[in-house]
Amino acid sequence: MSTAIRIDYRRCNSCRKCYDLCPMDIFIMDEEIKMPRVAYEEECAFCGVCWMECPKRAIDIVYPPSMW
Amino acid sequence: MATQEMTDRIIETDVLVIGGGVGGCPAACKAAEHGLEVALLEKSKIERSGQTGPGLDEIGAYPRDGATVLDLMGRFPGRSSDPNMRYRVIDNMLWALEELERLGVNMRYVDGEYGWMPWNGLHSKDVGPKVQLRVHWQNVKPEMAAAVRKRGVKVFDRTMVVDLLTHNSKVAGATAVNTRTGEFIVFKAKAVVLATGRVSRHYGPDAPPSWKYKMAYNFFAPSMAGDGHAAAYRAGAELTCMEMAGQGPFPRDAMLLQPGQFFQNDGMTGLTLNWKGEELAPHQEMTHYMESQGMLPIYFSIENLPDDFQKRVEVHIADETMIRLKLAEDRGFNPRAHRYHLSLRGVGNGNILVNENFQATLKGVFAIGDCGGAGGGGGSPTAGFLVGDTIHKYVSEAGEPVVDEGQVENQRRAALAPLAVKDVNEGIEPLEMEYTVRSMCEEYGGAIKTEGMLREGLRRLGSLKKDFMPRLMAINPHYLGRCLEARNILDMAVVHLQASLERKETRSRGWGNTFVRFDYPKEDPTYSNKRLCQRLEKGEAVIEIKEVPALKPEYAKESK
Repeated sequence: MSTAIRIDYRRCNSCRKCYDLCPMDIFIMDEEIKMPRVAYEEECAFCGVCWMECPKRAIDIVYPPSMW
Repeated sequence: MATQEMTDRIIETDVLVIGGGVGGCPAACKAAEHGLEVALLEKSKIERSGQTGPGLDEIGAYPRDGATVLDLMGRFPGRSSDPNMRYRVIDNMLWALEELERLGVNMRYVDGEYGWMPWNGLHSKDVGPKVQLRVHWQNVKPEMAAAVRKRGVKVFDRTMVVDLLTHNSKVAGATAVNTRTGEFIVFKAKAVVLATGRVSRHYGPDAPPSWKYKMAYNFFAPSMAGDGHAAAYRAGAELTCMEMAGQGPFPRDAMLLQPGQFFQNDGMTGLTLNWKGEELAPHQEMTHYMESQGMLPIYFSIENLPDDFQKRVEVHIADETMIRLKLAEDRGFNPRAHRYHLSLRGVGNGNILVNENFQATLKGVFAIGDCGGAGGGGGSPTAGFLVGDTIHKYVSEAGEPVVDEGQVENQRRAALAPLAVKDVNEGIEPLEMEYTVRSMCEEYGGAIKTEGMLREGLRRLGSLKKDFMPRLMAINPHYLGRCLEARNILDMAVVHLQASLERKETRSRGWGNTFVRFDYPKEDPTYSNKRLCQRLEKGEAVIEIKEVPALKPEYAKESK
């Protein structure tokens, strides 16, 4: 299924910034892979905080049809 | 049961600031500088929370360059907050500008200079004096957060207020829940500052109904749930102008880009067009169009501007919420050449009733920023500094707060109830509840209201609260936070419809601040210079029409 918030795990360095800063708290830290995961995507407010803060540019935000 | 047994933690403090945005942070800093113990509650994280979390591009207007405080007050006609409070805010904005710099917030635009911009005002196309401040506020929140932490304020991130604690008609603190750990915390405080932003998440997403897909929000979602409003209301404080917690125009194609950027582009204005491409006079005609929906849609455009001014608009967007440029590009939307469709969204102009000193009607509660009716990128920090600067006077006379254990127990039970609902066939997801409230508000309130629809909406919201709210279910602390929001959103939706029913007239108070009753299409002088005030008394809503206080003579005669 299409996702709006995409994490490129090849780029992610587990700095936790997205998890720490997301105003809607949609990320969780996946303890198995030690990387963030989007757990509550339907709550995303498209504010772009994770996208602008990510030091590795590992997050992409894509316009979903239900917001169009 | 003793309070210690009912709670995971008790925090004692002089001042409890609820909401760590651009109002709450300055208030906390200033109060701490006066030697007070300050705790700050933030349901997100103060480094990127609130409406300026991703940034802000402009602040205004300042009393300078020939524009007096009274001139600037006149630019916001009909706002029903205390004019003396608004006078104080605007009068102190230049002081707050210096204070912000002292906190380490970058207020300069380019070359270390202030970016003063002419402001043509919201009601004409004439280029006015340079009273607006252009800012690169992309990092305002990290800068403010550093200042807060440096001053020893106890910051509680990811912690959401449940309700205020009161004793003998005076505030005694608040209860809160950590939405990551589920920890229930009691705050004992002599004074509480509410700075949780506006309330308009009770209005529907303008996009297609999106529950189960993506939840569309108006403005910045966490700041719009009305947590402070709801907590104050349930504790007995008065709210005002809640019928105005309605809808206003926002450019949909830019994902909530604020239209101010089109108008305040250093005096170069964009175009406001109808669907046939005919130019409208912004604001006056636009408001008229909004009221008669058959004439919609309206578009904004900057296609008329020279290249460098179009570029400026793009930088405005980047400064406020950079992601919008990226999303626009993805959709093939050219911010320079394409027209922005304006649609109605929740804007939220209702607030906690405060006096000149930002004091709510419940003793010991102060409300600032959008919560108290003096908001925006300029009003919120100014009000925050003013309250933080004077709150020690109240604190020194307040006496020790007394926490009522029965109240704590009730609040704990109400707050944590969704965690105890285990039957997945019975339990209701908080987002479904929020979506239902919002679509009801949209359907029965909406931009154009009638008595019959309002009554039907209230009936439905009432039974929603009675029959479905007890089944609200949270499978973890994250969803518990969303449940608490849903409860606040529902309470504020009811308040909004009740107030809308009571205002039997149609009134345009300028842009984004329009109230339309289909069954009362004319302005009624009964409501001129009046405001609806609403409070909870023994579980019942009491609405009174009260006079807006007059501007004090010493303020009224000012004209520097």
